[in-house]
Amino acid sequence: MNTTTITVELPRTRSRAPWRPRLVSAEFLKLRKRRGLVLSTLALTVLPMIVGYTVLLILHATDPARHGAAGGLENFSGSMEILWQLAVVAAILVGSTLGAGDLGSGVFRELVVTGRSRLALFAARVPAGLGLVFAVAGTGFVITATASTVLAGSLDAPSAGVLVGSAAWLGLVTGLALVLALGVSSALGSRGTTIGIVLGWQLVAMPLLLQFGVLGSLRKGLLGAATGRLEPAALLGGGAIVPMSLVAALAVIAAWTVAPLAAGAWRTCRRDA
Amino acid sequence: MSIQAGAEGRRDGSERFVVEAFGLTKRFGERVAVDDVDLQVPRGSAFGYLGPNGAGKTTLIRMLLGLTHANAGTMRLLGRPVPAERAAALARVGAIVEEPRFHAHLTGRENLTVIAAAREPEAHGRIDGALARVGLSHRADERVKRYSLGMRQRLGVARSLLADPELLILDEPTNGLDPAGIHEFRAMIRGFVAEGRTVLLSSHLLDEVEKICDAVAIVDRGRVVMQGSIAELARGSQQTILIATSDEERALAILAEHRAVASAAAEADGVRVRLRTDVEAEPVADDIGRRLVLAGLAIRRFEPARASLEQRFLEITSRLEEAA
Repeated sequence: MNTTTITVELPRTRSRAPWRPRLVSAEFLKLRKRRGLVLSTLALTVLPMIVGYTVLLILHATDPARHGAAGGLENFSGSMEILWQLAVVAAILVGSTLGAGDLGSGVFRELVVTGRSRLALFAARVPAGLGLVFAVAGTGFVITATASTVLAGSLDAPSAGVLVGSAAWLGLVTGLALVLALGVSSALGSRGTTIGIVLGWQLVAMPLLLQFGVLGSLRKGLLGAATGRLEPAALLGGGAIVPMSLVAALAVIAAWTVAPLAAGAWRTCRRDA
Repeated sequence: MSIQAGAEGRRDGSERFVVEAFGLTKRFGERVAVDDVDLQVPRGSAFGYLGPNGAGKTTLIRMLLGLTHANAGTMRLLGRPVPAERAAALARVGAIVEEPRFHAHLTGRENLTVIAAAREPEAHGRIDGALARVGLSHRADERVKRYSLGMRQRLGVARSLLADPELLILDEPTNGLDPAGIHEFRAMIRGFVAEGRTVLLSSHLLDEVEKICDAVAIVDRGRVVMQGSIAELARGSQQTILIATSDEERALAILAEHRAVASAAAEADGVRVRLRTDVEAEPVADDIGRRLVLAGLAIRRFEPARASLEQRFLEITSRLEEAA
């Protein structure tokens, strides 16, 4: 290292913006530079849609009598059923990485030493994570929507209303999965453990519990029941698994959003760095 | 470098001490890691926090920086009470705690961007200057996972400069550096002090502290056992003089009568004289030499040994061990 003299001019006045997106940009930078993570999320959301519609297209082209058009509402609905589940997995991967990334690398300590509030450090993770998850899930959705519409042939194409409703619902379920994984990961400080717990809950335990009629109205407290209430009817799984009012569904979703974020924020503020 | 413009008003502030801690205590269960520590670090100096491994140096630094809470005591950083005004105080503090850590998948520059985002808006504009200061401009766009330990240490310093710090807290900063790197590091720290910054350097290496620092606090088993300038601390230790004469027996007899001599013993290369710790070494040495010459002895060697911080440190810590 040298000891060359360098003069850096510093402004004499300091701006005190109440909210600066620089932290969010920094969080997003950390995420998008993880090639493995970005590739896996793309492999989960974009690749299956491309492969699926390519196969349908080839089948239709080779034997139109046995295989209908690749697009249309029915294929859109089937694709969305796959896409939302895989997008949830992608969101869990991103959320887990976001919550435990700084701790795992030891950089959390360096961030705390800046004096910036720990709550602000935690809060910046949410929009950054949503940005990546919405980008990859959105790309998968655009492929699905485009293929379903363009390749519909003589079949009914999904209407604009169905497309908008499906996109919003996909955004909701992936966003909630991200928030859940981020909160749990920030609380536990372990990416691997979080992936195991949240994946197991979202894809195995919760769907099973929803099927247990003996639980009665207790099932209304499950996130899957609330998101199921809001799922567009045009989709395969559309319609409520557990009958509940819209207000109740929104309340459950709010609770499942606030609780993990509160747990993650509390632990981030309290832990030794 | 002088990351200095705009900083004059802060650097010559009226606060005499940049770090003040009183009665600081940290316990881990039954174990007391930091025990009722009082510490004052003067502004504009290189201050060594010296002690053996496990003495509680890093724990004290972690408390100062708000990485862990104190069980008792009060702290002020740059005149501001911590943790009450922690954010404002840390805005002008740069620190390396233990080994600097980074996101390995990001480049050096990107890692600095991440930290700059958590600091004031002007911090981003300091990235290039900081990288140049530590000689990493040409490697700034490589991923950190390809960096050597020495490069990571330098990047850690660059990161701490993003704060345009009045106070730099460096915890064992030369760990893992080769001799050339250590030499450069010392020069860089002195450069920071020359710019008016204060450096608090924690180390278990006596030689390092003695070469870099102006003042030192010696810590052992969580307690600060001595604090002062390097010269003051060394002055308190036992001085020795090695004397070779034409007649060792007569020399020993003369020395035995001298009130300032604690002990004198013949060794292979002469008589080793140990002075009492409460005397001024130089006039006593002059007086001893005069007496030996007046007694008609030929003096072949007269070598006052400068007491080093290392001797003082060993004296203090061995005294503590005996007392324990």
